[in-house]
Amino acid sequence: MVDDDEETHAVELCWSGGRVETIRVGRGETVVDAAETAEVAVPYGCLYGVCGTCIAELLDGEMTHRRSPRALKDRTREAGYVLLCIATPETDCRLRVGHDIQAEVVGTPWK
Amino acid sequence: MSTDKPSTKSEHSSHGDHDHHEVEGPGYPTPAAMRTEGRREKTAYVMAPRVGMANDGPDFVGVVDLDPESDTYSDIVDTIEMPNKGDELHHFGWNACSSSCHAEGLSRQYLVVPGQRSSRIHIIDAEDPRDPEMVKVIEPEEVFEYDLSAPHTVHCVPGGKIVVSMLGDAEGKLPGGFLQLDQEDFSIEGRWETDRGEMEMNYDYWYQPRHDVLISSEWAAPNTYYPGFDLDDVEAGKYGNSIHVWSWEDREHIQTLEFGEQGQIPLEVRMSHNPEETQGYVGAALSSNIIRFYERDDGTWDWDVVIDEDPREHEDWDMPVPPLITDILLSLDDQYLFFSNWLHGDVRMYDVSDSANPRLVDQIWAGGLFSDRQEVQGTEIRGAPQMLQLSRDGRRLYWTTSLFSSWDNQFFPDIAEEGSLMLKADVYPEEGRMELDEEFLVDFGDAPGGPARAHEIRWPGGDCTSDVWQ
Repeated sequence: MVDDDEETHAVELCWSGGRVETIRVGRGETVVDAAETAEVAVPYGCLYGVCGTCIAELLDGEMTHRRSPRALKDRTREAGYVLLCIATPETDCRLRVGHDIQAEVVGTPWK
Repeated sequence: MSTDKPSTKSEHSSHGDHDHHEVEGPGYPTPAAMRTEGRREKTAYVMAPRVGMANDGPDFVGVVDLDPESDTYSDIVDTIEMPNKGDELHHFGWNACSSSCHAEGLSRQYLVVPGQRSSRIHIIDAEDPRDPEMVKVIEPEEVFEYDLSAPHTVHCVPGGKIVVSMLGDAEGKLPGGFLQLDQEDFSIEGRWETDRGEMEMNYDYWYQPRHDVLISSEWAAPNTYYPGFDLDDVEAGKYGNSIHVWSWEDREHIQTLEFGEQGQIPLEVRMSHNPEETQGYVGAALSSNIIRFYERDDGTWDWDVVIDEDPREHEDWDMPVPPLITDILLSLDDQYLFFSNWLHGDVRMYDVSDSANPRLVDQIWAGGLFSDRQEVQGTEIRGAPQMLQLSRDGRRLYWTTSLFSSWDNQFFPDIAEEGSLMLKADVYPEEGRMELDEEFLVDFGDAPGGPARAHEIRWPGGDCTSDVWQ
């Protein structure tokens, strides 16, 4: 990883239990790749934007998806959710992460 | 006799004294031979995914000791950890089964273990049943080259091949198809099907080579079911409601049986083990009914709903909750059908000796939304009866309690924190009843390396959902 503020962005990862970790993510690098390099465990599955295991809520900053985020419905994307396996930061960012976000976003049928 | 390390012979037994067979292939010449000569299972392989868990890590194949004489009975005695995270191990199969009974030199030795989410396919050498080893990994990129993804059901087929049902294309959309592997070196040979006709969705499949038929079912596109279960997707027609009839020889789609509202999300397909039979059952998860399909005199296939369950009101839920039939299984003698109601929390046993008129004979409640029994040995039952496996002799039914990571997290979120369970019932086929064995509990919450889910179960030597007879 390039340790240069010009080339990387600070991404703050916030878990529901209060834990916070900040990692630096390179230009064009995905948050999952950067987290793996930094040995910070975040949930993920397919690694190509289809399965939604890595879904996170973008609280601050801007991110872009490197390919089509097929796991996200339009309403979910508009509500500010991103897929960390294909998302790269354009600015410093703050994200809410964790395994529980996927179910929270889809809800529970019949309940 | 205690056998912590059973010899290869004791668990991979091929057909003992069958002098009418001139060659020794893997498996058994008939379903009855497997049932009566297969001996008691001493080891189980259990898919143990950690995808989408609070403390995630690589998935593993759990090796569970099922020998009641052993000091480590009902323990996870070994784990084969995957080299990557995120696979979601789900269903798996063997390189060879009774369908290759006449293939000399072939043995049931390798497990083919796909990652449902990653599309990575692992080959594990289980020559020593208690010390399996990873020997090959087919990376997702190699699978995507065939414009397929999301590997599911694995069957070995006569002629040196392995066929895997694939639920999506390389982008996780429809259509799916079937991937064919070479039985010896596990290289990808390409697609199995020559013409998929109007088939778009795929899930499970079964085949009967004697009758030139393969039947496949439907879940949805991977990018629909992977992220979680959304009723809007059902209303939008994104979930399956049909099964497909294929010519086994020509590898062509020949007929669609469309169930409509009566068969929403038809998942597991089980045809009779008796190779003379031309019928089987599919469990429609969402509409929660069992549909029998059968060949008519004119060679076309037809279907009837033979078991129809109702949703049920629950005080904590806004709408009546369907039972959700997530797995079904036929005993090797085709006399009993078992299935699980993953939301309601029961496993049922039906007498299907009159195949079009199943008769409910017994039921066990354990976990789920409606069971009075929510603990075994003081351990909370996280989840509910799901993947089933029956002993070859039909006397022990085992099940796990996890369905699929994202769906678990919606309906039984405790599994993501504490893992799921494997349970067992003793079955008395001559009396038509079964009883939960409260002495047996495998808690995947205590798995080495941290909690895991638990999904499909198989044992060395073949089981009720692995083998097909020619």
